[in-house]
Amino acid sequence: MMRAHRAVHRWLWPVLALAVTLGFTLALAWRPPPDPPQERPLDPPTGAETAK
Amino acid sequence: MSAGFRAVQWNRDKIIYDAVLLAAAALFIGGFMAVGARLDPPANAAAWADLRLRACGLCAFGMITLILCIGPLARLNARFLPLLYNRRHFGVLAFCVALVHGVSVADWFYSQGTLADLAAELTTGANYTKFIGFTTKAIGLSALAVFFVMAATSHDYWLGFLSPPVWKAIHMGVYGAYGLLILHVSLGLMQEKRSLWVPVLLGGSFALVAGLHIAAGWRGREGDRPGPLTADGWITLGPPEAIPEGRARIVSAPGGERIAVFRAGAVVSAVTNLCAHQNGPLGEGRVVDGCIVCPWHGYQYRLEDGCAPAPFTEKLATHRLRLRGGILEVDPAPLPPGTAAALELGA
Repeated sequence: MMRAHRAVHRWLWPVLALAVTLGFTLALAWRPPPDPPQERPLDPPTGAETAK
Repeated sequence: MSAGFRAVQWNRDKIIYDAVLLAAAALFIGGFMAVGARLDPPANAAAWADLRLRACGLCAFGMITLILCIGPLARLNARFLPLLYNRRHFGVLAFCVALVHGVSVADWFYSQGTLADLAAELTTGANYTKFIGFTTKAIGLSALAVFFVMAATSHDYWLGFLSPPVWKAIHMGVYGAYGLLILHVSLGLMQEKRSLWVPVLLGGSFALVAGLHIAAGWRGREGDRPGPLTADGWITLGPPEAIPEGRARIVSAPGGERIAVFRAGAVVSAVTNLCAHQNGPLGEGRVVDGCIVCPWHGYQYRLEDGCAPAPFTEKLATHRLRLRGGILEVDPAPLPPGTAAALELGA
């Protein structure tokens, strides 16, 4: 690599790392909340309760 | 300078490299789809397209992550140099897999008769004004466009036509494209899937790639500092015996490129550290049968004048050397490429 390419490399990667980390962190923090769990049907009555 | 087209010059190493690449990619995609289809059998064409786009998307992301690790790994440790040898084919294959991923997205919409929805998503201005909800497909397409330019210009014809510095500058666009890829998944898949593996895989991959590049760049800083100068501006190297037999010592010209000073027996030769092929670091190579061999792709140059042996025509800029009081000194001003300037010790 030429000196100029190495110089670009040296400043490009820290800048890119900061920018991408910021974007990734915001995308992670602002994720929409998970869908509320679906209501489970009531458990079938036990044999004892049925007998009542 | 004109550039002539020569087809890929296959050799055993390239064939093995490519065969391993193809087999690994086919195995990954095939395995992913087979397991996916077994766990959740696709009911229709759209479900198959969805499975294919996930398999190819993950495979392409993994391949591009690996490709981006190769360069800094080879700079940090020479054991990784064989991976660099045919990296361009690796890149072209990664582009092909990414292209199948992109086509599968379109196929998913097409198979449901909703291609208009895809067009609307890409052309609705409001989708570009918010962060969460940004059209991630546009980000993916932008990255794919960069990968296309790189794949299309990967052949040596373009390297010769554009010249190595311009070619390298264009191909450094892959770093930005990788950043786009991270955002493509962060704002797309990561918003839909709540599982932990998406952010862990994504963040871990980027941290690895960025960490390796920053480490390699940091370590390379030292090599760009010019060596001690004599009163008339030559660089002091030290005794010739300090250069290992058949190897080089790399010094940096003040404000200029690095210089590789090789020693083979009683012959010492100083050439530019930039290989004429792809600007590879010649000084990390060695002398074999009187020729300097580039560690990247094996390009060879005669020790005495920096010319590639016939029938090849590449030439390197050389530098004058002198021995004063047992100390080797090199002139930082380059001579025209191919100028004989080697120094015979004891002559």
